[in-house]
Amino acid sequence: MTEVTGDVRGEIRAYVEENFLYLHPGVELRDEDDFLTLGIVDSLGFVELVEEVQSRYGVQVEDVEITEQNFGSIDAITGYVERKRSAA
Amino acid sequence: MCGIAGIVHPDVAEPVAEQALLRMARAIAHRGPDGFGLLLDAGAGLVSSRLAIFDVARGWQPLEASPGGDVLVYNGEVYNHPELRSDLVAKGEPFATTCDTEVVLRLLERDGVSSLDRLNGQFAFAWWQPQRRRLTLVRDRFGVRPLYHALLEDGSLVFGSEAKAIFASGAVVAEPDLAGIDEAFTLWGARAPRTVFLGVRQVPPGGLVVWERGRIVEERAWWAPAYDPGGAPADDLEALLRDSVRLRLRADVPVGTYLSGGLDSSLVTALAQQETDHELRTFSIAFADPRYDERAHQEAVASAIGTRHHVVDASIADIARAFPEVVRHAETPLVRTAPVPLYLLAREVRAQGITVVATGEGADELFWGYELFKEVVLRELHVSDPQRAEELLEQLYSYLGPRAARRGPAWRRFLLETGAEDAELGSHLTRVEATATVKAFFRPEVAAETRAQEPLDRLRGELPSAFLRWSPLERAAWLELRTLLEPYLLSAQGDRVAMAHGVEGRFPFLDHRVFAHSVQLPPARKLDGMREKVALRDVAARVLPPAIAERGKQPYRAPEIAPFFAPDAPGWVEDVLSSSALAETGLWDETRVAGLVRRCRAGRASGMRESMALVGILSTQLWHRELVGRGVDHYPRETREPRVRIDRRVETPTEEVVA
Repeated sequence: MTEVTGDVRGEIRAYVEENFLYLHPGVELRDEDDFLTLGIVDSLGFVELVEEVQSRYGVQVEDVEITEQNFGSIDAITGYVERKRSAA
Repeated sequence: MCGIAGIVHPDVAEPVAEQALLRMARAIAHRGPDGFGLLLDAGAGLVSSRLAIFDVARGWQPLEASPGGDVLVYNGEVYNHPELRSDLVAKGEPFATTCDTEVVLRLLERDGVSSLDRLNGQFAFAWWQPQRRRLTLVRDRFGVRPLYHALLEDGSLVFGSEAKAIFASGAVVAEPDLAGIDEAFTLWGARAPRTVFLGVRQVPPGGLVVWERGRIVEERAWWAPAYDPGGAPADDLEALLRDSVRLRLRADVPVGTYLSGGLDSSLVTALAQQETDHELRTFSIAFADPRYDERAHQEAVASAIGTRHHVVDASIADIARAFPEVVRHAETPLVRTAPVPLYLLAREVRAQGITVVATGEGADELFWGYELFKEVVLRELHVSDPQRAEELLEQLYSYLGPRAARRGPAWRRFLLETGAEDAELGSHLTRVEATATVKAFFRPEVAAETRAQEPLDRLRGELPSAFLRWSPLERAAWLELRTLLEPYLLSAQGDRVAMAHGVEGRFPFLDHRVFAHSVQLPPARKLDGMREKVALRDVAARVLPPAIAERGKQPYRAPEIAPFFAPDAPGWVEDVLSSSALAETGLWDETRVAGLVRRCRAGRASGMRESMALVGILSTQLWHRELVGRGVDHYPRETREPRVRIDRRVETPTEEVVA
C-alpha cells in the first residue's frame, strides 16, 4: 500500500463514516464491504459520493465509470482513484 | 371563507353536547375570525366559523333552507354565484341573502349533487338533510379546501375543516397512522382519503362522501382530472384567464395578490390590475440568503404593473420561531420549511386589512412548468440520443447555483435513469427516492412496519383506468395534481398557512375551465422542448414586460437547517430532539437522529437529503407533541356569543340571529 493509497482509503472511509454510517448504528463496515448490499448508500447518497470523489481528488468521472466496481466499496473507490491518478 | 364542523348520530335521541360543538368551533376559529354559528338538531349538531367575504352583514351559517329543512355549513367560494342565482331566481327560487352559501343550498335542494358540475370555485361543505338523516360531505375539484371526517364505532360521523375540530369533539383522540406518515415521507403529504391520523379520513379532491343513518352509503368522485382532449380548445386562453381572474376578484372586501417574481403570479397580478377598479396590493416574501431571495424580480414586477407592494423579510429566526405554529396548523409532518414564510406572509396580509389574495398556484401543474416535466422528456430522449439528453440536462436546476455545475455524471444518471423503466410512476421516483431519506431515521421496528404498506403500491392501485393511455407528460401531470398539489401545496403550503390568519387564497389557474383548456392544448403549447408554459408565456408577453414574461423558473424554497441551529435558535428545538421527546414519539432512532443533529450543528449536513430528514423529524416531533393523544381539555370552548344559534331540539324550534 503506497502512502497515497493510505490517504485516499482513510479519507474515503472517514467520508463514508461521517456522511452515511451514522445512519447504520452497529454496522462494522470493512473496506471490502459492498455499500449497496448493506444499504449504506442510497441513490442520492451515491450521487453525493461520486461528487465528493470528483471534487476531492480532481478526477473526471466518466458516465461509464459509475459502476459498483468503481464506487461500490471503500476498496473499490480507493482502487478507482489510484487508477485515475496514475493514468493522468 | 370559513371553517365547518359537526357531529351526526344515527339515533335521533342521541344528544349532541353543545359544549362539544363550542370546542369544535374554537378549534377552527382562526379560519373564520368574524364569528361563528351553530345548529342543534335531534341527534346532530353543526358549526361554522366565518370569514365574511360575500354579504358581510347577512350570510351567517349554518344556513337553513327552511325551518326544520335542509342545512348547509359551507367553507369556500363559488365565484359564479351571481349567474347561478339569476338562473334560480328566474325559476322562482326565493333568496334571503346575496351570499354564495344560499345559492349552493338552493341548488342542492333542487338538483342534488348533480348541480356540483355547475359550481366554479373552491369549497368544502356539509349538507344536512334531517328528514333522511343524511349528511353529504363535498370537496372542490382540486381540493383547495380541506374536509376531514371520522366514522365512529356507533355509526356516528364527526367532521371538520381541520382534523383538530374532530379531536376537539372528544369523540376521537389523535393517534398516528404510520401508513399516512409513510406517505408524507414518500410524497410530501398523505393522500386522501388517508391522513396521518388513525381513523380520520379526508374527502378526496373532487369527491363526495354520503353518510346516512350510521353508515357511509356512498363515496365517489364527482369530478376527476382526465387528459382526453376531444378537440382543440374552443376559447382563447387570455380571455379565459381574464375571466377566471375577474371572477376571483369578486368579493365584498379588498383583494390582493401574492407575487413570487416568477411568471405565474406576475401574470395573475397583471390581469388582476387590469380587471380591478381598486388599488391592487401585492405581497412578497424576501430572504437575506440570495439563494432563496427573489426580491429584485418581485419589485420589478410590482413596479412595472404599478401595485402597492409589501415585502415580508423572512429571517431564519422568524422561520424557527413560527415553525411550531405552522406544524400545528398543517397537522402533518413536513419535509420542507417552505410553508413557514407563507404563514408569515399571510400574517402581514391580514395586518394590512386584506383577507383575500389571488396567487399563481396551479400553473406549473396545468402548463407543465416544473423541471420534473423536462426530466420526463429527457428520459425519453436519453433512449435515442443520450448525448443530447445529457447536454440538455445541464439546463435543468440552474437555480441550484455553482454547485450544480459540479453535478457530474452520477447526478445525470440519477435523473435520467431513475424511473426510466417505470411507465406508471417513473416521473416521480427521483422525488420519492430523495424524500425516502427521512425514513432512514425510523426505528427499525417502525421501518419494518412501514415497509409492509408500500405507499407506491396503493398509488399504483388507484391510477385511473385511462392512465396508461395518456402520454408520459400527462401521466406526470396527473401525478403532480394528485400527489403534490393537493396533499401538500394546497394544504400545508396553501390553505393551512393562509387560513391560520383568516386569509383566503384564490387560484385563477385552478379554474376547471382553465384546466379543460390546458388539456386540449397541443403538448408543445405547454412544454416545447425545454421551453415550459409556452401558451402562458404568450399571454404574459401581451401584458408583462418581456424580461418577466420570459423569466425561467425558480422554485420557491426556504432555508431548512440554518434556522434550527443558529446561535439564537429557539429552545423548542432541543426540547423536541431530547431523548425523552424522541422516546415519547417512538418513531425515530435516537442514535441516528443524534448523528444528524451533530452534523447539522457542525455545519456539515449535506444538501437535500439531510435537510428533508431534519425538517421531517422536527415537524413530526412537534406534530406529535401538539396533537397526538390530547384529550378535550386541550381544546378550549368558544366563549363568544354565536352569531346564529338554531335549536331544533325543543318543541318550538328557535332561531336567533344576533345583529
